[in-house]
Amino acid sequence: MAVARAGVLGIRWLQRASRNVVPLGARTAFHLNKDMLPGPYPRTPEERAAAAKKYNMRVEDYEPYPDDGMGYGDYPKLPDRSQHERDPWYDWDQPDLRLNWGETMHWDIDMYTRNRVDTSPTPISWDDMCKQLFSFVAFMVFMFWVGHKYPVYQPVCRHHFSYNLGFLSALG
Amino acid sequence: MKLVDGINITELFMRSGTPNRAGVVVPWVAKMSFPKYKPSRLATLPQTLDPAEYDISLESRRAQVERLAIRARLKREYLLQYNDPNRRGLVVNPALVRWAYARANIYPNCRATPKNSLLGAVVGFGPLILWYYILKTDRILTVAWRDTVPHQLFGEPSF
Repeated sequence: MAVARAGVLGIRWLQRASRNVVPLGARTAFHLNKDMLPGPYPRTPEERAAAAKKYNMRVEDYEPYPDDGMGYGDYPKLPDRSQHERDPWYDWDQPDLRLNWGETMHWDIDMYTRNRVDTSPTPISWDDMCKQLFSFVAFMVFMFWVGHKYPVYQPVCRHHFSYNLGFLSALG
Repeated sequence: MKLVDGINITELFMRSGTPNRAGVVVPWVAKMSFPKYKPSRLATLPQTLDPAEYDISLESRRAQVERLAIRARLKREYLLQYNDPNRRGLVVNPALVRWAYARANIYPNCRATPKNSLLGAVVGFGPLILWYYILKTDRILTVAWRDTVPHQLFGEPSF
């Protein structure tokens, strides 16, 4: 009787123990669990706060992409600034990417690396540069068209073939 | 310096200038007129022209302090792992994991909206229709031109 009771208790203890710990020698496949990974668009303020905490941002700074079905989920919309613009003299954890450990990466960071797109301020604003370039190009195109329509060359005769036009006479 | 009796020329010169912010009267200074810098997607506003840079209100300062606190905590976590003598492998960056996961798992968060569907239809069928009409027109015009020119031009003998 006591043996049976001890056996039952032992089984119960084993079940309880195995529920809480992973068997010896085994680990979980990955150390980030589901709520530390990106999820769907946050609907309630609590979800927003949780998402901001997950992405290591302030709740006021956290702004997800608009929910229009394009697949962003709750990933934050960071300002569209290239890594070129970041301080080159600060002690970044990853100096080539100018990025810190744990800092949320921009959705398009692979576009904004220092080998690719650069959004740094230019000496003249973009629309001024565009205006100057396109007005020059338009002027040159106009001048070439004028030169094409009204060609200027030394005076020449009507045609240069002395006896006949050869095979070109077939063209009429 | 007294050039003219009764009038102090230096004083006259000084008083005729414009007062600057410090309240000191300075003589007329040359001023360049810069065109207004309009920021765009690929050329952002420089920090020195941004009014938010000069915002020293309490709320903005508090926000900066909070951001710094988050950054300092992350820096500390990273440095503890980085300089741990018993560490053998890489220091895994959870932000990188989240970024890669978000970029790879777009499909679960996608859904069909009118804009999406329209865009998909245009990108899917547009090129097919476009190239069909371009190539068809080109073929018709080529054949038409070929039939107006005598074939001796192509080296075919005229029997």
